[in-house]
Amino acid sequence: MHKGTSTKTWAILMVSPFVLCFILFWLAPMLLGLWVSLHNWNLSSGNNGFVGLQNYVDILTPGSLYNEAFMLALKNTLVFVVISVPPLVIIALGLALVLDNLPTRLKPVFRTIYFVSYSISVTAVSAIFLWLFNENGGFINNLLVSIGILDQPINWLSEQPYAWLSILIATVWWTIGFNMMLFINALDEVDPSLYEAADLDGANAFRKFIYITLPQIKNVAFFIIIMTVIASFNLYGQSRLITAGGPEQSTTTLTMGIQNTVFGMNQLGIGSSMAILMGIIMLLVTAAQYFMSYRKKEVN
Amino acid sequence: MKSFKWLVLLIASVLVLGACSGGNNASKSKDGKIQISFINGFTGGDGAYMKKITDGFNASQDKYEIVESQEKDHYTKYKSGDYDMVVIHGNNLETYRLDGMIQEVGPLYEKAGLKESDFHQAGMDLAKLDGKLYGFPIDIHPLTMFYNKEFTQEAPKTYEDLKKLNADLQAKNKDLYALGVPSSGLVEFYMLMIAAQNGVDLQDGNALNFAQPEYADALMTFHDMVWKDKVSPAGLGLDGEFKTFMKEADSGKAVQSAIALTGPWYYAAAKEKFGDSLGVAPIPQIGKQQAAYGNAHMLAVSASVEDEEVKEGIAEFAKYMFTPENLINWADGGQAPVHLKTIEKVTAEKDKYQIAYQNSLQFDSYVAPPQVYQYGEQIRYMNEKVFSKLVGTENLTADQLMKELESATKKAQQIAETQPK
Repeated sequence: MHKGTSTKTWAILMVSPFVLCFILFWLAPMLLGLWVSLHNWNLSSGNNGFVGLQNYVDILTPGSLYNEAFMLALKNTLVFVVISVPPLVIIALGLALVLDNLPTRLKPVFRTIYFVSYSISVTAVSAIFLWLFNENGGFINNLLVSIGILDQPINWLSEQPYAWLSILIATVWWTIGFNMMLFINALDEVDPSLYEAADLDGANAFRKFIYITLPQIKNVAFFIIIMTVIASFNLYGQSRLITAGGPEQSTTTLTMGIQNTVFGMNQLGIGSSMAILMGIIMLLVTAAQYFMSYRKKEVN
Repeated sequence: MKSFKWLVLLIASVLVLGACSGGNNASKSKDGKIQISFINGFTGGDGAYMKKITDGFNASQDKYEIVESQEKDHYTKYKSGDYDMVVIHGNNLETYRLDGMIQEVGPLYEKAGLKESDFHQAGMDLAKLDGKLYGFPIDIHPLTMFYNKEFTQEAPKTYEDLKKLNADLQAKNKDLYALGVPSSGLVEFYMLMIAAQNGVDLQDGNALNFAQPEYADALMTFHDMVWKDKVSPAGLGLDGEFKTFMKEADSGKAVQSAIALTGPWYYAAAKEKFGDSLGVAPIPQIGKQQAAYGNAHMLAVSASVEDEEVKEGIAEFAKYMFTPENLINWADGGQAPVHLKTIEKVTAEKDKYQIAYQNSLQFDSYVAPPQVYQYGEQIRYMNEKVFSKLVGTENLTADQLMKELESATKKAQQIAETQPK
């Protein structure tokens, strides 16, 4: 009895830091955000009363100020999700495969080189890419003009589609290391005997990748795709610092829109509603991915 | 019972965290001085000069101490924090007044022994809202002209001068232009400057009205600068006016401009690069009349300050700050004070305080930003969308521009409707 109680106490003690952090940093803010989203809450004047779902109605009513801001930001964010997820996953997988085939002594060196960019702050990354993509005398333009690929410099940051391309390149360079590491770990887990059996059967590298590697890392790949979609939805630093949401608000993302609604317009209630809607959209996209993957698994 | 214990624990945690917030009573330092919290956004080069003033005040005081915070997002911190004094931009003062976040400071002028006549009228026009004083005007930072004396000895005074300068430069080198028109960044200053120089009043009640044919015509000046008269290269991005000024022309790879219509805060960087070759002057007349536009810094007092001792301390600080010997530090930092006796001191040493002096020359023709609720948000669509379209679209017609101006006006009206009743 005494032992049982002690174990239970220990269990509570061990789990309590997580539960406390979970409540403080996730559950409480989320519930508070939900509660604020149901109020006419102004950052300056405070809570001006319960309005029910009116904030959501305002955001979803075409023609309203908040609807235009939200829809524009949502469209821009979806564009980024669509253009960023494939390279962030495919390039990471490619790098992981290359590293996996390197001599054992070289692996940690290149693993560190590719991962180190992930440890740099977004401010520094943005400053580097601002310099690289500067329209007037920037490094990339100078290089491309010097070697004759371009006749005229490109307005990388103030013209589409180049602005998205600049943000995409910066994002891939910055974050690719994280996905690559996850893929490397997944590749390490693949049973070598499967490859040996395939070698005996005369399978080439491509067939081994398709029939052994991909199925074996499928679960990790699915996790990486979901995490990458979520990360791309949360695009903020790069578009804020590299293009400032431009040209013509075309890289203004949902997070930027919410930030402006709260801190620019002072509309904390509306901003919270936008954040909740953004969360719901992300949840739906993730659920759709999960459902498609699960269904495919069932069919298989 | 177990659930009840958890509930008690949760409530206790919330109460403990809640107790971390501060109150509104005057706080005192270890040596018994009354502390006055002061927040501003001077995180650039000018921060050190404001610090000189607050440090000087603290050293001179037995009774009060200014606790200064220089924060990049100082407005956000001010809204959510508990500060006694704040520096607010001239175009934000009305918003903070309507939001009930600042208080009338007329009585503090009296306590400090300051009069309206101690300041230039341009500063007073900014500080006075609805007939009452809501701030002490520190400076006005108008759109400023830098020019490179290696390309022109004289500062251009008119648009014709700009065109002539451009023709001369282009004849020498195709990568040299008179100036650069940016697509984003300081474009609000450009748009309000051209309105002022064409006598267009953008304020319509509590909202901005951009959809005026004469304003569309005025704005087309910037389109013509890039695409018709070509006094500026096309495709300059964020802060392009200053970046182009600082560049070295490089055959086909980089363009350079001889002048920059930009913010005075770039003075230190330009001076470091060009030294004595840097000229500073009031902006040229591009529209129908001479007029200057820019923003301003105002010292305002939080609406939450009720303690008389704190108010006395703020008045004492204002009395100290608005003296030529102390406010000259601000001019030393490149800002143009509107305190008349400090202007006199600046004028007496105009070579030393080059930029403050040149900008003080623009005060007489200065046109203040429209005093409307959420001015920054009302003009956001113009800043982020319309101007970049205006200078970035070669075949833009007046009709297309007018449609954008109508959209911008509609958004401004919607923002104005959020004004507290």
